[in-house]
Amino acid sequence: MSDTAIEFGRRIPRITRLSLAASPFLIRWTLRVVTLILFSAATAFGISLGMSAPEISPASVVQHDATPPDL
Amino acid sequence: MRPPRFTATALLALVWLGAALAILQGFATSRLPSAVDASLVAHVTGMAAGYGAAIMLILMSRSPWLERDIGADRLARWHAWAGPVVILLTIVHAMAAVKAWAEARSIDLGAAAKDLLRIPGLTTALVGTAILVLVGLASLRTLRRRLSYEQWHFLHLLTYLAVAFGFVHQLAGPDLVGRRALQIAWSLLYTYAFALVLRWRLLQPLFQLWRHRLRVEEVRQESPDVMSVLMSGQHLDELRAEPGQFFRWRFLTAKTWSSAYPFSLSAPPTRHLLRITVKACGDGTRRIFRVPVGTLVFAEGPYGVITSRRRRRPRVLLIAGGVGISPMRALFEVIDLPGRDVTLVYRAAKEQDLVFKHELDEIAERSGARVVYLVGPSGDAANDMSAPALGRIVGDLSDHDVYLCASPRLAASVRESLMDRGFPRHQLHEERFSF
Repeated sequence: MSDTAIEFGRRIPRITRLSLAASPFLIRWTLRVVTLILFSAATAFGISLGMSAPEISPASVVQHDATPPDL
Repeated sequence: MRPPRFTATALLALVWLGAALAILQGFATSRLPSAVDASLVAHVTGMAAGYGAAIMLILMSRSPWLERDIGADRLARWHAWAGPVVILLTIVHAMAAVKAWAEARSIDLGAAAKDLLRIPGLTTALVGTAILVLVGLASLRTLRRRLSYEQWHFLHLLTYLAVAFGFVHQLAGPDLVGRRALQIAWSLLYTYAFALVLRWRLLQPLFQLWRHRLRVEEVRQESPDVMSVLMSGQHLDELRAEPGQFFRWRFLTAKTWSSAYPFSLSAPPTRHLLRITVKACGDGTRRIFRVPVGTLVFAEGPYGVITSRRRRRPRVLLIAGGVGISPMRALFEVIDLPGRDVTLVYRAAKEQDLVFKHELDEIAERSGARVVYLVGPSGDAANDMSAPALGRIVGDLSDHDVYLCASPRLAASVRESLMDRGFPRHQLHEERFSF
């Protein structure tokens, strides 16, 4: 990555203006809402992962004569 | 000062309680055998390793409540202690699982390993384990010395991948499988851990970059191998940074963007300016000396608890060794005491290694505080930094809050001397770092 590419941030005046104009109050609340959304998503994703997790050990797919030790 | 909402003891108790529950689950699944066998070891170590990996992520997530109430140095020490334990548990789990499988089927270990790798999720778990072993090896003292900070840091970042790979296997493992509530709880532990990392290690610095537009304003030489970097930005007061605190800095140039370095503020922050002071310790820090003016800076922080809020006693002794003067210089200017009974003891090997001498003398003159320079060989009796010697400089040490920042060796020697003399631990404020 070149310095020019990294320094590209200099050329986005609209975003810069937005960041400079927003009040601290607005910024603080926006961050709180972002955090809330992030952890709500993490909760939903976690529950979804848990709900869709296997009910039978995948070890059982390995066919063998002996009884698997349930690892 | 606000009382800590979550003390180290409470957090540790919670972590150990979770570990006990995870281990108990491992015992429960192995159907309580009459003797310790490979299967029991595999279950217990597997649960403990899986739980430990998630806790490692949480401890290093840079969450403000952890950084503020526990302290970055203590979290790093816990991580340094528990990280190898988690890696060891993972290795023992893998070996015990292969042995248990081989015993149950009366086959050799090679055939058992081959069998196990056919189980869905086990190949990724093996890759995850391999990454963890690699990180563990890279952290061994002898190997770590040969690696640059950047290489070591990159390897550490791979642990996220390793933990994610391990999670796939855990969720389908025999200790959780078929137990819906446990599977959900385990998933939540991991999704919350990753959410914390995402929120505080990625989103927060990105937000700060956007909001504060921090850029290098000037790189100034302080001594032959020490430079100060001044950075300007907008709304820096919103960071609520305090003297004594540090940030992890990432300078966005082609050669330096990939590494984040922890450096303390060396001057009280203002609304538009931050200053750090860096000693050349390797290729990475030398590259920082050459960052061009105008370079964007990605800053994580502020972190650290050795601020003036920690002060409880009527007098203050600041002890700095070498470049450890950085946070002490910032604190020296702002510690506000009636009559300013503040003493700064500044140790340097050579006269030319003293940095900020002019600034320190000026602050002392303005405020009535005192600076004592101890310059020259450490064997020289005049440079003694033992508790009795410090007592001779400042009088009764027990009246003081002591702030300490120096090289690991000097800090350890001062700390031990103070403790040996019965100096109260809660009056000694320091953060210890080494990579």
